[in-house]
Amino acid sequence: MNEKVMLIDVSKCTACRGCQVACKQWNRLPAEKTQQRGTHQNPPDLTPATWNLVRFTEIPLKEGGVRWLFRKDNCMHCEDAACQRACPVPGCIFKTAEGAIVIDTEKCIGCEYCVNVCPFEIPRFDSATKKVYKCTLCWDRIGNGQIPACAKTCGPGAVTFGPKEKMIAQAHARAKALGGDATVYGDKFVQGTHVMYVLPEKVRMYEKLAINPSVPVSVYLWKDFLKPVSVLAIGAALVGTFFHYIIKGPKRPEEGGE
Amino acid sequence: MAKPKNLILSSTVFERVVHWVLAGSCLFLFLTGFGLMFHSLSFIGNFFPGGHYIMKLLHNIVGIIFGIAFLFALIAWGKDTLYFDEDDKKWFRVMGGYLWEVEKVPEAGKFNAGQKMFFMVLFLFWFIMVGTGIFMWFPIFPPELTRWLYVLHALGVVVLGGFLVIHFYLGTYGNPGTFQVMGHGYVTKGWAKKHRSKWLRDVEAGRRSV
Repeated sequence: MNEKVMLIDVSKCTACRGCQVACKQWNRLPAEKTQQRGTHQNPPDLTPATWNLVRFTEIPLKEGGVRWLFRKDNCMHCEDAACQRACPVPGCIFKTAEGAIVIDTEKCIGCEYCVNVCPFEIPRFDSATKKVYKCTLCWDRIGNGQIPACAKTCGPGAVTFGPKEKMIAQAHARAKALGGDATVYGDKFVQGTHVMYVLPEKVRMYEKLAINPSVPVSVYLWKDFLKPVSVLAIGAALVGTFFHYIIKGPKRPEEGGE
Repeated sequence: MAKPKNLILSSTVFERVVHWVLAGSCLFLFLTGFGLMFHSLSFIGNFFPGGHYIMKLLHNIVGIIFGIAFLFALIAWGKDTLYFDEDDKKWFRVMGGYLWEVEKVPEAGKFNAGQKMFFMVLFLFWFIMVGTGIFMWFPIFPPELTRWLYVLHALGVVVLGGFLVIHFYLGTYGNPGTFQVMGHGYVTKGWAKKHRSKWLRDVEAGRRSV
């Protein structure tokens, strides 16, 4: 396997947002009208044209003012991806050899199943094009031996990219070096994500970061239980009516009365 | 159509048209729904110009047609189906004579207890399928809720899928003579006596027309 992992060490992030710009540039995503909501987080959320967003969590300090926690937010590229399980069109959401989960927008029919099952709430529906968009882990770059645009541009070295095992080891070493509440986020759920974090603070401190993400139970019930059961139900009814006909026979109207 | 000799009208034009609209839209919904639910059946989408996107759009639009058609079905059959009487309880005890030999099947009105139950279940799943379908099409609820609509919609496929096959069997070769209730509407008196004797008495006494 040629699995790769993007490691985001938020302790090194300066929130310059160079990654946001590089993402837009490489993926040719337009600038958008935004809104001032009294925070530096801009735009306020991920959008169909913003696949990469630096979130600013503000922690109020006792002595007044705030402390910032920065987090580069984008698709986590799950090994067991709920979006891929839910997608109704074959080949529309696919996984590359490196582990990137990519939406083929040509095939997307805008059903928004992926939007509603993603444990990280990443994909965004564009009501103008009726399609869903998200980070591709720059699959068109990494497939050619390059690194994602955001990692390429990151000045302080907060975003790095490399072979899976190496990056996991690097992440744990860094968390250990940071000490305190520092943790590694990403290798323990959905069979491992191909985007991982080193978080200096507890997971719950970061806005919009799922604490214990998993493929939703509803997706298993829907795709792995009710879907095969529907075939069983129809099959059982066909077999049942067939045997009813040959064993019990049809109910013929009585003679007479005409 | 002129009244054929020795035959009796079992259903009105209104009933027959509603039945066909329901049947046609239901089959279309199953076909297109399966094309979306099973990757192995996704070739169904290739029959539509515009592919899966148009197939999904038509699934949604025909869903609305099905939803509205069922309102007419309620007008047509609600008063004869949405209750059980003493004979219906007896009917269930012998399962209408469909599963084992019984001396006498309890008399039925226009619909027997099994048909009434079928209609009640269809009523429930009409509500579930149209209700979930609309909010899958326009997902205005939070994702945590919307993803459970997918589960309910799939549950409807399980129940309605099995029901559809049994309904088709009982309406055609399982009960010879029955199909014309949905066809030109005329059945033999023998059929009416066998399947809906209480209704036949009412019609012959002029207490109801159809």
